Amino acid sequence: MIKVVDGNQAAAFGAKLSKPDVIAAYPITPQTPLVEYVATMVARGELDAEMVEVESEHSALSVLHGAALAGARTFTATSSQGLSLMYEPYFRTSTLRLPVVMCIVTREMISPQSVWGGQQDAVTVRDAGWIQLYVENNQEVLDTVIQAYRLAEDKKVMLPVNVCLDGFYLSHMAEKVEIPEQDDVDRFLPPLKMDYIKLDPKEPISVDPLTPGGLLTHYRKKHMEGLENAKEVFEAVDRDFGEIFGRYYHGKIEPYRMDDAEIALVTMGSMSGTARVMVDKARERGVKVGFLKLKMFRPFPKEEFRELLEGIDVVGVIDRNVSFGFSSGTVFYELKSALMGHHEPLMASFIAGLGGMDITKGHVGTVIRFLEKIQQTKRVEKEVIWMDLEEEIWEKPLTR
Amino acid sequence: MGETIDKIKWLLTDKYANKALEEEIRDIEDLLSPGVSTCLGCGAEVGLRIALKIFGKNTILAIPPGCMGGVGVVGYGLTTGAKVPVFFPLLDNIASMLAGIKRQFNRKGEKVYVLAYAGDGGTADVGFQCLSGAAERDENIIYICYDNEGYMNTGIQRSGTTPYKAWTTTTPVGESRRGKPQVSKNMPLIMAMHEVPYVATASIAYLEDYATKLKKAAKVEDGLSYIHLFTPCPTGWRFSTDKTIEISRLAVETNFFPLWEAKYGKIRFTKKIWFKKPVKEYLKVVGKYSHLTEEEIEEIQKLVDERYDMLKSLAR
Repeated sequence: MIKVVDGNQAAAFGAKLSKPDVIAAYPITPQTPLVEYVATMVARGELDAEMVEVESEHSALSVLHGAALAGARTFTATSSQGLSLMYEPYFRTSTLRLPVVMCIVTREMISPQSVWGGQQDAVTVRDAGWIQLYVENNQEVLDTVIQAYRLAEDKKVMLPVNVCLDGFYLSHMAEKVEIPEQDDVDRFLPPLKMDYIKLDPKEPISVDPLTPGGLLTHYRKKHMEGLENAKEVFEAVDRDFGEIFGRYYHGKIEPYRMDDAEIALVTMGSMSGTARVMVDKARERGVKVGFLKLKMFRPFPKEEFRELLEGIDVVGVIDRNVSFGFSSGTVFYELKSALMGHHEPLMASFIAGLGGMDITKGHVGTVIRFLEKIQQTKRVEKEVIWMDLEEEIWEKPLTR
Repeated sequence: MGETIDKIKWLLTDKYANKALEEEIRDIEDLLSPGVSTCLGCGAEVGLRIALKIFGKNTILAIPPGCMGGVGVVGYGLTTGAKVPVFFPLLDNIASMLAGIKRQFNRKGEKVYVLAYAGDGGTADVGFQCLSGAAERDENIIYICYDNEGYMNTGIQRSGTTPYKAWTTTTPVGESRRGKPQVSKNMPLIMAMHEVPYVATASIAYLEDYATKLKKAAKVEDGLSYIHLFTPCPTGWRFSTDKTIEISRLAVETNFFPLWEAKYGKIRFTKKIWFKKPVKEYLKVVGKYSHLTEEEIEEIQKLVDERYDMLKSLAR
């Protein structure tokens, strides 16, 4: 069935088709309609789930902790300040190995006061042990929510997953989305069975007692192994999904026109659509440029990047976030450190689209021109470029 | 005449508490490890052992960070401290985690008691928001707050339920400050005002009353039940370890901690105090009040009376 839906609604459809037992959510812009859609589905009887309208995001995730420990498949969603209020149970979701799926409708972090888009919220919690998947369009929102459950609940993984969709750019933009059939989803996604950690009077165990450092170290290592396993498992999940639903997303990183590329762009989220168009345009001019859409930001696909960027002259990373303290975009420095000791291309970091600013064709086109210049001069004069502040790098002056 | 008989009965029942009930409770299996490392004379430990005996094995137990967590009720390493499924919630998400567990068991159609045994810090301070939310949403959970009037596990710091003028390590007694300058948060009354199915205060000195209230809480199916349990702490309150029960009793006999229950916000006293003792008798045996002057004791007497009168005006 084809419908025209916004990103929040696409996420709600994805959740509904995944048949969660317990949903708990607290409204926050731009995620609010997602909660309303899910609540409406429950009220209409289209979705048979316990809906808990909690008093805070902290409680939203906490209710899911309890529910998951009692064996439930769970769903929630949040944004920005809600995510940061959640941080305490957020870290614990992954360290308790609970396969929760949570959409982050990404939004700028305050201050200054802002309710608009940006990936600062989700990117900032990158080291809390979750899997994070960033998506490009509303079809991918829906499909990735379903995939996320398969990934989270895989016995080799058993970790929570964030599906990150750009606030407003996806959450409030309507586009054509194919809604999968329930039978197909049921075939793709078997029911959840919690084997290792659970609260049940029939099999009483102690969950999370005081733990000495040696044992804790053991758990940390296992957790990392689970994250590493997620890389391989996700490839298989995506391939299976493609076979059943006819849509394959190339797993962790989607390469576009990279075969003979000398220059590569790296993007994450909805800006990838714009990059696709501008790479095509540059190709018309004869520039050997391609781009990599990073879908799996956590765990960071180091090995694939090394392979995909082998022999590339120049790499530009567009970040819709900043890394305070490392003074560049976050994906930029992570990619740079992943490439160290392997083929090391010249690299530049482009910060754009903060606080709801658009990343236009002009932005991406200018980035490509800038990378061409680096390729010609074989020098990176400026490593970090603030796209909306440094007008001198623009091919044509900004008209704001 | 009837009143005189009541007074005699009251004196007798208090002296010779319900022996049959005591024996009944004694004979139920203790679901808490004998090896938990509470301080000598710990009031909270007694309260937990009795609660588990009443609720039995079909219980999921939340023990948030605090004294009961610290002494090993949830366990250590690969061991456990209880014979029921037990876990650490976060200090500030106790009621929410319980709600999630209960919702899923309801969904599965399985009956289970979902019980928190939480200190006053996790209840009245940092965990208050989620408890209030769970109460408002009628989450069918059972929440016991063991009130030892402060953060005793971290070493005797003030909490929202620390009483007026009481000494703690963060409300010290000196030239310019004399214990806690504020009155305690009236936590059980706040919970009663949520109009949940069942709220009660209880004391480890009144076993029959406590056990009855636990049984009433267990019967609730349409919302939250909350029991505020008075559990003196010899270590933090500075009194001899053999005085815990005596002090618990004095708190009730002086109206410092009256025993009552509330069904959907309708309050009723469960232990009428016919011969009220002056609060001084309570304060003088508890070390954390040893700095009090006669004037300060008078002031506290007034506060206790006022709070009791207010409660009386609400009770029926």
